[in-house]
Amino acid sequence: MRSRNKHVAMVETPDALPADAAAAAAFEHDHVLSRHHFTPGEHPVVRIEHLNKAFDETQVLKDVNLDIWGGEVVVVLGPSGSGKSTMLRCINLLEKPTAGHILINDVEITGTAKTDVNKLREKLGMVFQSFNLFPHLTAKENVMIGQMKVLKKGKAEAEAEAIRQLDAVGLADRADFKPAQLSGGQQQRVAIARAVAMHPDVLLFDEPTSALDPELVRGVLDVMRDLAENGGMTMVVVTHEMGFARDVADRVVFMEDGVVVEQGLPENVFDHPVNERTAAFIGNIADA
Amino acid sequence: MRACGRALIVALTCTLLALGITFVAAPISAQAMTCDKATARPNEDGGSGVIGGETTRLTWEGTVESGEDVTKVTLTIPDDGTFDGSTTRVTVLDGLTRMSVEAETKTSGNTLEVDFSQAIPEGSLVRLEVTNMCFPVEGGDYAISGTYESQAGTSALPDSPSISVIANTPLQRAVTWLDGQSWVQAWNSNQFLGMFFKPQLLLTSFVSLFGGWLVCLVIVIVAYPIAILLGLAFAFMKMAKHKVVRAIAVTYINILRGTPLFLQIYIMFFGLPMVGVNIDNNVLGVIVMAVNSSAYLAEIFRAGIQSIPTGQYEAAASLGMNGAQTMVSIILPQTVRRVIPTVTSDFITSYKDTSLLSSVGVMELMMFSKNLTTVSGNITPYMAAAIYYLIVTLPLIKVVGIVERRMARSESGGGPRPKAKGSATPAADPSTPAMASVHCEATEDDGVHGVIGALTAPFRSASSVTPRHDEMGGVPDAL
Repeated sequence: MRSRNKHVAMVETPDALPADAAAAAAFEHDHVLSRHHFTPGEHPVVRIEHLNKAFDETQVLKDVNLDIWGGEVVVVLGPSGSGKSTMLRCINLLEKPTAGHILINDVEITGTAKTDVNKLREKLGMVFQSFNLFPHLTAKENVMIGQMKVLKKGKAEAEAEAIRQLDAVGLADRADFKPAQLSGGQQQRVAIARAVAMHPDVLLFDEPTSALDPELVRGVLDVMRDLAENGGMTMVVVTHEMGFARDVADRVVFMEDGVVVEQGLPENVFDHPVNERTAAFIGNIADA
Repeated sequence: MRACGRALIVALTCTLLALGITFVAAPISAQAMTCDKATARPNEDGGSGVIGGETTRLTWEGTVESGEDVTKVTLTIPDDGTFDGSTTRVTVLDGLTRMSVEAETKTSGNTLEVDFSQAIPEGSLVRLEVTNMCFPVEGGDYAISGTYESQAGTSALPDSPSISVIANTPLQRAVTWLDGQSWVQAWNSNQFLGMFFKPQLLLTSFVSLFGGWLVCLVIVIVAYPIAILLGLAFAFMKMAKHKVVRAIAVTYINILRGTPLFLQIYIMFFGLPMVGVNIDNNVLGVIVMAVNSSAYLAEIFRAGIQSIPTGQYEAAASLGMNGAQTMVSIILPQTVRRVIPTVTSDFITSYKDTSLLSSVGVMELMMFSKNLTTVSGNITPYMAAAIYYLIVTLPLIKVVGIVERRMARSESGGGPRPKAKGSATPAADPSTPAMASVHCEATEDDGVHGVIGALTAPFRSASSVTPRHDEMGGVPDAL
C-alpha cells in the first residue's frame, strides 16, 4: 500500500505551458463552452494543468485541467467524493497538490514555486460550507479583520467597507451581532461579505448552501447571483443547486471520480449532456 | 627572707579575699532595704497577661535589711499610669507574724508615699498592694522604683523586676469586651466551639494572619502571570514541528506534572543553597509556584488551542492572514474564552498550594497560623487561615460556575441578541422570520477584539462553536 502511495505521489506531469501558448489553447478549448465574453489576447485568471491530488492511498484528483477567465462564473457539479471541493481547495492551497500546476494570473503557485501563500490567498476569497465565521467577533468585525490585518487598512476605512459589504448582503442591521446570534443563512452571507471585502480576483464557493436549512438557501443564492450579475466577480462555485447553475453559471463543469467528465454551457450540459454519467447525475437530481 | 615572702603572699591573698568580699557584700551593705518582688495581678480574662489601661493590683514587697529602721517608703509608678492611693493595703510581716503598724498613704503625681507610724525593724517584710492601678495603655516592660527613709536619711530603692504589660490596642479592647460577654463564655464552654472557633482567638488570629495572607496573595499574583507566559511558551513548544523542541516541552511538562509540588519545593529550597545559589525565600517561592503552574497551564492552553476547529484556521488563511496573525487575532481569543474556567480552577489550586511553602520557612498564611496554634494550643488560628483562603477561593469558584453556565448557554445559541441598529425591517430579511419578534437589551460592543475583548466576551455575548469539553484541561497523555 505504501509503495502505491509513493507511486501516486510521483505522478509525472509535463511542465506548465508558457503563458501565451496556454492562453491560446485555453481560448481554443473554452470559447464554445462558456457564456464568458472573450476579449482578444485575454489570459485566464486561474489555470489548472494536470492537477493531481492524493490522500494517502486515495487518488482524489486525476489530471484535472481547467481554466477560469476573469468575470466568469464556473459552477462545478458532481456527486459527493468526486473531488470538486478538493480541486477548489487546491486553488488557494488549503490542500497541497500532489502533482500538476496551478497558475494564478500566469504565476505558478504549485510545486517548487516559491510563492508567498498568504499574499496569494489575499487574491482568492473563499466561502466555506460551514461558514467558519470567527465566533468571538461581531459580523462587522468579521468583515473588518482581514482588511485590517492583511490589507493594513485603518479601522474607520475597514469599518466603512464592512458596513458597505454587509449592506450589500442585506445585513447592515445585523452588523453588531455575534455569529451565534445569526441564522445559518445570515452567517453565510456575512462570510460572503467577509470574502468580498478583500476584493479578491476570484471567489471560491465550497458548497455554500449545503449546510443550510432549505428556507435559508434562497437568501444566500440571491447574494451570489447579485455578485455574479452585478458585481462582475470571478466565481468558482461548487454546489448542488441546479437552478443556480442553470441561471447564473457561464459554464458548468461536471466532475466524477476526480476527473472533469464534461463541461460546457449550462443549457447544453443540463439539456443535452454528452456523457452518460452526467446525464445520470442530472437525471437523478431532477428526479429528486 | 623566706618568712617575709610568705607573709607577703598571705597579705596578698587576704587583700584579694577582702576585695572579693567587699565586691560581693557591697550591694547588700549599701542597701538597707531590698525589693523582693513587684507583680501585677493579671487582668486578661482567661489569660495571665497584664493589659495596659485596665485596672489591676500592683503588689510590691521589700525587706528591711540589718541595721536600719524604715519609717517611710515612696514608690514611683510609671508615667501615664494611674492608681488610687487611698485604698493601698499595707502589710508588715516579721517572719510569719503580722505586725500591726499604722501607715498613712499619700499620693502626689505618680508617687505613692507610705508613712509608717513606727519604724519598721530590720528583717521585716513590707508588702504594699496598690489597688485600682492602671498601667500605661501602650504597654511595655515597667520596673517600680522608689525611695525609703531611715535614721540614716533617704535612700533609693533598687528597681523591682520589670512587669511586662500588654498594649491595650483597639483589638485588645475588643478581646477584653468579648471576654466579658456571657455568650462568649457559654460558647467557649463547649469543648468543640472553644477549641475550633474561640471568638477572641479568631479575632486576634485574623489580625495576626493578615500579613501572611498578603504574602500568599503576592506570591500567587506575581507567580501566575509568569506561569501563564511560560505555559503559553511550552504549549507552543509542545505543538512545534521540530521534534527536539517538542521533546523539551514534553519533558518539562511531564516532569513537573508528574512530581509533587512539595518535592519540587524541597529540591529548590534545599538544593539551590547547597550549590551556592541563595535567593530570597519569597522570590524563590514565586519561582517554584510559577514553574509548577506553567506545566499545568501549558497543557490547558495546548488542549484549548487544539480544540479550535480547523475551519477557523482555514478561514483566517483564506483571508491571507499569516500564522502569527491567525494565532493572535483568531485562535488565542477563542482559546482564552474556552480555558477561563480551567485556568481559574488552576489559579485556585496554585493559591492554596502556596501553603506548602510554609514547610520551608516562607512566612505565609499557613506558617503564621501554625505558629499561633502552637502558642495558643488552640485550633482557631487554623480556622482563621481557612477563612482567609476561602475569601479568595469562594468568589473564584463562583466565577468559574458563571462562566461555564454562560458558555453552555452561548453554545446552544441562546445568547442575548443586541438590538438591530437603525430601523430594522424584518420583512426585508426573508431568511429569519423568527428574528422579527426578538427585541432584547442592547449590549454595547465597542468593537474591541483580541485577547482582552475575548476575556470579557463570556460576559458580553455568545459563541456558536462547541468546545470539546473532553479535551479541555484534561490529562490527555500519559507520562
